Amino acid sequence: MHIIEAKGLKKTFRTKVKPEGFLAGLRSLSLPQFRQVEAVKGVSFQVEEGEIVAFLGPNGAGKSTTIKMLTGILAPSSGSASVLGLDPQSDRTRLAMQIGAVFGQRSQLWFHLPPADSFRLLGAIYEIEPGALKRRQAELVERFGIGPYMDVPVRKLSLGERIRCEIAGALIHSPRVLFLDEPTIGLDVIAKREVRALLEEAARTDGATVFLTSHDIGDIEKVCKRALIIHHGEVVVDESMKDLKHRALARKFIGVKYAEPVRFELPGIVPTKTKLEGGANADGPAGAFTQASYVVDTRRHRIPALISALAEQGEILDLTVEDEPLENIIASIFAARTGAEACDAARPAAESVGGGA
Amino acid sequence: MSHTFGAYAFAVGRKYGLAGATGLKTRLAYLGNYAGSILTYGLFVFVFSRIWTAVFESKAGATGFIAGYDRATAIWYFIVAEISVFGFGRFFWRLAEDVKSGQVSYLLGRPYSFVGFHYAEAMGPALVDALIFLAEGYLLGTLLAGPPAHFGPGRAAALILSLLLAGSLQFFLQLALAMTAFWIEENAAFFWIFQKLALIVGTLLPIEFLPARAQAAAACTPFPSLSYAPARIAVAAGIPEGLRLVSVQVAWLLGAVVLCEAVYRLARKNLSVNGG
Repeated sequence: MHIIEAKGLKKTFRTKVKPEGFLAGLRSLSLPQFRQVEAVKGVSFQVEEGEIVAFLGPNGAGKSTTIKMLTGILAPSSGSASVLGLDPQSDRTRLAMQIGAVFGQRSQLWFHLPPADSFRLLGAIYEIEPGALKRRQAELVERFGIGPYMDVPVRKLSLGERIRCEIAGALIHSPRVLFLDEPTIGLDVIAKREVRALLEEAARTDGATVFLTSHDIGDIEKVCKRALIIHHGEVVVDESMKDLKHRALARKFIGVKYAEPVRFELPGIVPTKTKLEGGANADGPAGAFTQASYVVDTRRHRIPALISALAEQGEILDLTVEDEPLENIIASIFAARTGAEACDAARPAAESVGGGA
Repeated sequence: MSHTFGAYAFAVGRKYGLAGATGLKTRLAYLGNYAGSILTYGLFVFVFSRIWTAVFESKAGATGFIAGYDRATAIWYFIVAEISVFGFGRFFWRLAEDVKSGQVSYLLGRPYSFVGFHYAEAMGPALVDALIFLAEGYLLGTLLAGPPAHFGPGRAAALILSLLLAGSLQFFLQLALAMTAFWIEENAAFFWIFQKLALIVGTLLPIEFLPARAQAAAACTPFPSLSYAPARIAVAAGIPEGLRLVSVQVAWLLGAVVLCEAVYRLARKNLSVNGG
């Protein structure tokens, strides 16, 4: 049995069209116009027990809507879903007992109360016996390092501290499946790293299946073993992280800034952009620059060796190594896919023209 | 997880009991709110006691009565009627906001009765509010109109029951209104109309003060069960009238619970959550 299964899951919303202008606005009061928005266009996938799956896509791709259908919050327009063998709609309460959810943009903790109060109430909601709840809470407090925040009202916690408490709260009833919707949204780099480590540990320690949505590539690289990429409401990629990394995450973006103008060439790598600070009047040989950007294929070049080579050229003021933005990866995957579809569609037509000649 | 009936009953009682306690704790987080409400309620009672004094001096004539009420009874009526407004009149905002902000994502995904849990969470602090206003009202009423007449333990018990029913009815009607936010983004106008009707029909004035046709129309609505019933039970109703008023409250309450569940089921089918 698959732990999570979606079959042609579709969600269409009806939204009111608000026309521009005062008169048009008045007219829409008596004759409102609606538009159908297909948030999710029939996604299908399966997740096995213990998997840590990244469900990725840019904003508006349909990730959150899919999670809400899988957790029983939204009813699908068509298609079906099954989580732990239960229908999220008809078995909502039974399913809720066995799953946990974190929505990064919302809070499940009572805003004006300390997390300890929220944990006590969440424990009661999930019908955990008081003794067991105490033990579980102590375990999570230690694991998540949230002891100092347990008696501070949630409204006074930083976002990073709150998210740690949110995730601990979602695990209070030891769910078999944990749904996380953008858990690192808005966090700084250090807080993101901490949250990812905690998620990884939670999945390992509790053995829970994790279904994580994010538009942050770092989340999936560090935590997940498999990636599902959704775009415009459709699953466009379903493969292991290893394959995805090899295929799509093979490029790194390196930016370097030197104290003095330099002039050099790296074998096999051409800078995508160079800049000489101070412009034409700057002191330096022809073709010299103080800043350069490179796009590096990590299958052909080793990043540490490259950084050493850059460091040998002069005094470095700043150096950045970045992943390719997820939006770019998805766009290229999607462009390749639609291009292939266009070719497939065109081929029979061309063949039939050829055949008729 | 619970296996026996006893354990199940304990778990369910703890779930909804703690919801009420958590609601109360949240309310207590801002004690300043209490000061504001206590002051406003006191001011309302004082102003209306002056208005009723002026009205009875100019209109009551030699009998001292208007529509069966004397000055003191009218003041006590207002004191009790306003408890329903001050104690139970603000459920709408929090519930409507949860729907509009998308916070409802968490609220719908938990293993509880959505309506029942919110009832417990809202009524915990509301009952304490009502008790505070009851104490304040008793103090102010005694100072402004003298001790309440014919007020024994039986009437006190009937008043508490009627206030509980009024508070519950307020909750379920306001929840039904708040849940219209599942369809209509700006639903505050519904609550505004509801509030004004509740004020006119039985809060500011006893229903006996309204013209006959308005009284007949009011009797077909749930509004008299919100303020009029507990206030009338506190100041004038005998046993048969009290029983009739409480029965009508129970009937409206059952209707409101059914309405809420129906609206909730419909809302779930049509739900779209703001912000994805």
